[in-house]
Amino acid sequence: MSKKITTVATDVGGTFTDLVCFELDRESGRSVVRTAKTATTPPDYERGMMEVLHKGKVELAEVDLLAHGTTVVINALTERKGVKVGLIATEGFRDTLEIARGNRPDFFNLHYVKPPPFVPRHLRRELPGRMSYRGEEMRPLDLSPLAGILADFRKEGVEAVAISFLHSYANTAHEQAAEDGVRRLWPGVPVVSSHSIAREWREYERTNTTVLSAYVQPAAESYLERLSTALKEGGFSGTPYVMQSNCGIDSIRSTARTPITMIESGPSSGVWGAAELGRLTGNLNVIALDIGGTTAKCSLIENGNIRIVTDYWIEKDRKSAGYPVMVPVVDLVEIGNGGGSIAWVDDFGKLHVGPQSAGAVPGPAAYGIGGNKATTTDANLWLGRINRDYFCGGDLTADMDAAGQAIAAIGDKLGMDADSAARGIIRIANNNMVNALKLVSLNRGYDPRDFTLVAFGGGGGMHAVALAKELGISKVVIPADAAVFSAWGMTMSDLRRDLVVTKLMDLKADTADSIEIALRETEKAARTQFENEGVDPSALTFRRFGKFRYQNQEHTTEVDLGGHTVSADRISQIREDFEAAYEREYTYRLDAPVELVGIHLTATAAVGKVEMEPQPIGTTDPATAVKGSRRVDFALEGIFEATTYDGQRLAPGMRFQGPAVIEDSGSTALIHEANQVEIDAFGNIVITVEE
Amino acid sequence: MTFGRLEFQFLSKAVQGEDEAGDDAEPDPITLAVIQAGLSAAADEMFSTLRKTAMSPIIHEVLDAGTGVTDDSGSLLGSGAGIPTFVGVLDKAVKHIINSGVQAAEGDIFITNDPNHGGVTHLSDVVIAMPVFLNGENIAWTASIAHWSDVGGMTPGSMSVRATELLQEGLRLPAVRLFERGRKLTSMFDILAANSRMPDFALGDLWAQVAACRRGGNRITQIAKTYGIRIYRAALRDMFAEGERRVLAGLASLPEGDHSIVEEQDSGEAWNATITITGKEFIVDLRDNPDQKSSPFNTSRDGSVISAQMIFKALTDPELFTNEGSFRPLRVLTRPGSVFHATGSAPHGYYFETRIRLYDMLWRCLAESFPDRLPAGHFASICGTVLAGEHPDTGRNFTMVEPQMGGWGATSVRNGLDCMFSSGHGETYNCPAEICEARYGIDVIWKRLGEHDGGPGRHVGGRGLSVSYRMRGPATLSAGYSRNRIPVWGLNGGAEGGTNRLTVSRIDGRCENCAFVSDLRLESGDEIIVETAHGGSWGIPD
Repeated sequence: MSKKITTVATDVGGTFTDLVCFELDRESGRSVVRTAKTATTPPDYERGMMEVLHKGKVELAEVDLLAHGTTVVINALTERKGVKVGLIATEGFRDTLEIARGNRPDFFNLHYVKPPPFVPRHLRRELPGRMSYRGEEMRPLDLSPLAGILADFRKEGVEAVAISFLHSYANTAHEQAAEDGVRRLWPGVPVVSSHSIAREWREYERTNTTVLSAYVQPAAESYLERLSTALKEGGFSGTPYVMQSNCGIDSIRSTARTPITMIESGPSSGVWGAAELGRLTGNLNVIALDIGGTTAKCSLIENGNIRIVTDYWIEKDRKSAGYPVMVPVVDLVEIGNGGGSIAWVDDFGKLHVGPQSAGAVPGPAAYGIGGNKATTTDANLWLGRINRDYFCGGDLTADMDAAGQAIAAIGDKLGMDADSAARGIIRIANNNMVNALKLVSLNRGYDPRDFTLVAFGGGGGMHAVALAKELGISKVVIPADAAVFSAWGMTMSDLRRDLVVTKLMDLKADTADSIEIALRETEKAARTQFENEGVDPSALTFRRFGKFRYQNQEHTTEVDLGGHTVSADRISQIREDFEAAYEREYTYRLDAPVELVGIHLTATAAVGKVEMEPQPIGTTDPATAVKGSRRVDFALEGIFEATTYDGQRLAPGMRFQGPAVIEDSGSTALIHEANQVEIDAFGNIVITVEE
Repeated sequence: MTFGRLEFQFLSKAVQGEDEAGDDAEPDPITLAVIQAGLSAAADEMFSTLRKTAMSPIIHEVLDAGTGVTDDSGSLLGSGAGIPTFVGVLDKAVKHIINSGVQAAEGDIFITNDPNHGGVTHLSDVVIAMPVFLNGENIAWTASIAHWSDVGGMTPGSMSVRATELLQEGLRLPAVRLFERGRKLTSMFDILAANSRMPDFALGDLWAQVAACRRGGNRITQIAKTYGIRIYRAALRDMFAEGERRVLAGLASLPEGDHSIVEEQDSGEAWNATITITGKEFIVDLRDNPDQKSSPFNTSRDGSVISAQMIFKALTDPELFTNEGSFRPLRVLTRPGSVFHATGSAPHGYYFETRIRLYDMLWRCLAESFPDRLPAGHFASICGTVLAGEHPDTGRNFTMVEPQMGGWGATSVRNGLDCMFSSGHGETYNCPAEICEARYGIDVIWKRLGEHDGGPGRHVGGRGLSVSYRMRGPATLSAGYSRNRIPVWGLNGGAEGGTNRLTVSRIDGRCENCAFVSDLRLESGDEIIVETAHGGSWGIPD
């Protein structure tokens, strides 16, 4: 046995590939953390990963657990770089994918463009056969047209097959038979059935998800293979795990079957990191805020629990209906508002920030490589909030002339000087984020004042205190290594699957047994699946949730069923739990029957996540971490001479007061006047925000 | 060691709400933008609350509902996503309540559904409106409108094509209090429940609307408290001015002139309109039109104004940003007692077909003058399809209320869209076949794009919908499909797009055309086949 335990996470983002490596010495209990960052290397993302491992001096042969997150799926989707898919649907329903839901969010616009389907009509085919909503066979499946359909698909150059039949969530037999047929008639073609991704009703959402998964499958599978090979050749002998969208990790084998589950792996690991950090530091109510280069994402964690939803959409906004993805994704709100977001003035004199981003190239004007549009980063530099002499950790020289010109151009349109325009950009960006934070808190009946704001990503520390003040939040935590926090979150993850199954039943004493049976069946299926993959069944932990609503409503409220067996005498307590949750969110209760719409089971297994050890609280004078001071414009509170601290020299136990700036190579934290800072035992920056 | 704090005095004061008298400096544009974004978020939040809590599928799935915020005089500030025809409804309802002379107090909530009392549409659409106060001062109203499944009247679902007077269409609520100073008026709730065939739905939807209004009210109070009422009001003025600037810019891009149309309707009647565009005004003259009817195809004047608002907005500023200012240049002339300005006891049940026919006619009128700026005609009907019966598996009563999708017209640059809801809809979602079969116990045999392409054109119209429902037990059908005789119009030489059809195919093989029908009895095994029109094509084929 090795003397130390090594846990590694690599996170491939749009711009950077991040590394976090923990080494825990078994004898001394001391741990060492190393982080590194390199450029992302599309399309051979695995190359960037190997580079960052090399840069971080990771000895792959000694790694015990390796987790990997990647944007490969979302990139293939947004850049339309997947393969040609053929769809097989229930007779009479091949157009479900194209009809979609018929909605038009941009409703005054008579020139609206409906998002085109990922499979054109001539590649959408049908098979006779029908299940009922209760899972009974109404008409047997007729596979005789299948050979002809597949022959046509081959002729047309189809590279992956998607199968989606009506009511397959209730009975998978027809889809399974069709999938077996495809594998028999066309060995080797990637084939995805809807029931293997989602067991919920709504045929358009399920079909689209299946199609998208097939669309990215060959690219994702080959990527995961290259990744495994590269790791093996590098000396890694274990099983790499892949970060999923549900805050858990899963095996490469399982992920390759339905790669669509990786779609939001980056954001989900950040949220998970925030939840774990909360548990570690005794803050169970957390709002996670991740501010990156192009977007800001936030998610609410109540009493340590993340919330998983299955109604995720891509490319959906006020102008477009987008495309649904029905897989378990951590519930988050994402807005186009990051460091690279472009500020612009519309034809009617209103200032906006985002959602367009300057990206990595040309990037903010201050990169000095041709960008002439002012971004949030430019405004932060202009106001002294980011250190112009330590831009991107000193890797770049800030082109302040370019930034100044870009900001002055905005000011000209608004009739104000560059300083005021820069403050305006910060205020609008902050306001966009405040509204997003309200969506995950106030909008769902939670008072943000009851929560700790955990802010990370390159821009988290820059804006967090201002946002907290606006929302009345009194405690902000900027994690140590905030810039690679998503990778950190991965090292804390468990193997996890979320099983969401539509089951419509009244919530009454005499249905309790049926609910219990449904839960047990799903649990058993998950257990078998894990066992087949070699996971020790005794390591599995299950949690049970039910999705409830008042009869005749549509939307459901999820309730934790606790560890109890659902029996007749539990029904009134479950109803009470549902009504309490409903009332918190919507302000009233109804005297109406309650029904179960679906069950949600989480299965987790610990596979060696990192256990963080608190460091001793020291007495080092914070003055030893001081770099100097500079003028910083706080946008709303005014201009202050702020003390600057070197993030690398902060140590547990240090305390100081704002106005201050904490600078690290990848991130900057801004401490407003009169706010107290304390470095906790894990090296996190804990800020007490003055009322 | 602080610098420049003086220059920020005003800003920080604004943020702390120290809105002292005598300080009459104009607030900075950033503060105004922040307040405006907050108001827009409030209306969106109201909508999301309503959608998540409503009982009736027509609200939570079809989204036949809207939310809005007005200032204290009833001028529209913003509206939650929903359908565009509901954007301009709620301000009219609030204005009616204000003009009726009631003294609104904090904690009051009003209810109306009567087109003669600010209800605008038909009795099925219930408006809930709540005045919002800060420090005893009325600073705004929040309001919501939603289509209830049943408000009484002569037929289940409250919309009969046989209605000859308003009272046959349900309970009339003439802008009365539902809550008084925070106290729930229990007798009102009892009356509402007693007058609905589906009292659980009525009360469920009512509470959903109340929750939405309260949520919006809280947000607005917070905003005004944070920035102070004076700055809040300045933000409203700035918003109205921007709304007006936007549409005036669009108007200036159109040539001045008169545009007239006479259009034959399915009934054989001719309707007509004249639109006069000047640099500052957009005048829609509807005075020379038929008298109101003793059948439910009338609309209130407010309803006609909404049709005019829709085409005006689509042509001048098709952005979602909409407020009172957006409609300042618009003038609509109507004649009391006409189909576009019905009064007294005239029934309104199918007002929406009249309103969309009017919108479509105004659109056509301008499209023929500006063929590069507007698409050819679309199927242009709500195609409301109502099935009521008993669920064959659960024995529970159900009412399915569904609009249908259809083809949209081609434009000067592309083919038309396939299968979208009408221009009167927006964030309206079709009901998945899987949910339809489970919730109503009705089988969906197929649901696909109409089999034929639109007629010839340089760009062809989009496809309509073809869907077949088969009954598993007895049920009754009501439907209202206009554009069932006069086909969808093509543009600039493009072909017409056909008509909207609903056929009942009996188990014994008989077929009936049922474009407009009330309470038609269906038996187990009967099929309903819906085939909506394609969009019109654009241009002569190359």
